[in-house]
Amino acid sequence: MSTALTLYIDRNSRLHVLNPLTKVALTATLLTAGFALPEGWISYSIVLLIVVPLSALGRVWRQLVKATWKIVLPFAVSVFLIQGLFWGSGTPLFSIGSLSFKLEGISFAFLSVGRILLVVSVFMLFALTTRPDTLMLALTHIGLPGSFTYIVVTAIQIAPRFQARAATIVEAQRSRGLETEGNIFRRARALLPLVMPLVLSSLVDVEERAIAIEARAFNSSQPKTSLIKIPDSRGESITRWMFLLLMALAIGYRVIAKN
Amino acid sequence: MSESGKIGVSILAIVDIQGLTYTYPTSEKPALRGISLQVEQGEFLAIIGPNGAGKSTLCYSVAGFVPHFFKGKLEGKVQVAGLDTQSASLNDLVLKAGLVFQNPFTQISGAKFTVYEEIAFGLENTGVPREEMKERIERVMGLTGIADLAKRSPYALSGGQQQRVALASILIMEPEVLVLDEPTSQLDPIGTREVFQVIKDMSKRGMTIMMAEHKVEWVAEFADRVLALSDGEALLLGKAEEVLTSPRLPEHGIGVSRYTTAARRAIQEGLWPTGRRLPVTLVEAVEGFQRGQA
Repeated sequence: MSTALTLYIDRNSRLHVLNPLTKVALTATLLTAGFALPEGWISYSIVLLIVVPLSALGRVWRQLVKATWKIVLPFAVSVFLIQGLFWGSGTPLFSIGSLSFKLEGISFAFLSVGRILLVVSVFMLFALTTRPDTLMLALTHIGLPGSFTYIVVTAIQIAPRFQARAATIVEAQRSRGLETEGNIFRRARALLPLVMPLVLSSLVDVEERAIAIEARAFNSSQPKTSLIKIPDSRGESITRWMFLLLMALAIGYRVIAKN
Repeated sequence: MSESGKIGVSILAIVDIQGLTYTYPTSEKPALRGISLQVEQGEFLAIIGPNGAGKSTLCYSVAGFVPHFFKGKLEGKVQVAGLDTQSASLNDLVLKAGLVFQNPFTQISGAKFTVYEEIAFGLENTGVPREEMKERIERVMGLTGIADLAKRSPYALSGGQQQRVALASILIMEPEVLVLDEPTSQLDPIGTREVFQVIKDMSKRGMTIMMAEHKVEWVAEFADRVLALSDGEALLLGKAEEVLTSPRLPEHGIGVSRYTTAARRAIQEGLWPTGRRLPVTLVEAVEGFQRGQA
């Protein structure tokens, strides 16, 4: 069982040591560029010329390529087939039997798949190189409530345990004769004896965890400090502003081009 | 050094409970009735009793969670390190009385990815500077024997290891009283031994400890005094060797040491020396039976 619901891979790389907010700004800029600029090849270029090289810098390119490929490939195949074959009236490129692939459909699929590839690869790069707790800490520093960030980070760590407990309850109830397979009615009947223990035990856990964090002064009015020092520099701060400027330019270009 | 042989024991009462009666919000019957006791600084007080006797409620009362977390109706007075638990805030009280309870898993905050960071969680909440945090983490990891676990995920540990991390997380806040509510009830024998070793070390260092526990043989080894609760009331309060061998314990469904039970039976057979105190631990039993044979 994994210890946390996170994709983060610990590496000693220049990408890993960046301030999480810089990586947030980079992610947002790349996504904005891919969606705001109309040409279909833009997304593919960003992935090939920026995202993949950055993943190599972060020493996670294998994981990025593997995960992105797994997610995007099935989608890409279905989009090309559906858009190509069922575009409606358009310029036929080639035919298979009575069906023909349309140029306009293929072009649209090319654009759509490119954007999906961009979204998946950019978020994957971010998740592989950013620890969730440091991200939350950085967000707390810019004003996000500490209780909210606590909820997000604990959900990431506790979710695998929740899944494991659910599996244990299923096995326990099965050993008592509960039938969990079969037609939909049988499965529906099995829901209550499975869900109730899970919910009740989780509520008990929540109360105990609340006591545990209170015992460690979670609601203290003292300004909180942090064991982890999140790196930041004037250079990174300037870089973030540059990213914001690039995003504004991309959006501006899109608005002007449309008009 | 005091008579008990512990460092820094004074005769100052650090926990003062007067006529404590408490009823949970959803209950009609009080969970505790008329409890009065004082715990001296550096003392180890064990709390025993059957399920539902009020052990956990008493622990929560000392740590301030009764009444601040559980609300309900509290009568009487509880003072911990000079703070009245009803008028002081829970944030102030948890700095005086550190609470560790049964379930090692739910005591992991979930907010940290390594043991090293987990231990510092309480210090972050109280605004301790980073360099001081690091010093205290190193010290506490040494005290609790978890230095080799520093880089591991708190969720990748055994129950005994998690409970030691929970102990470290509380000890690092330097409470004046350590309140333990059956800290080994969900642990295997190895985990139990690991946790009791830490508790024993803390006691030797002069820490004031209140511990609710079922394992009377361990209690006999550590406790200065024992409070036996039954149905929310104080049944017995006195020296460990006197309380743990009292015939009133089994009458009220409170477990006794197997060695005590064996010796009681041996008395009937004339195998236990007349007038010799009943044993609680294995060592006492062996000595007694050897004397009886001689």
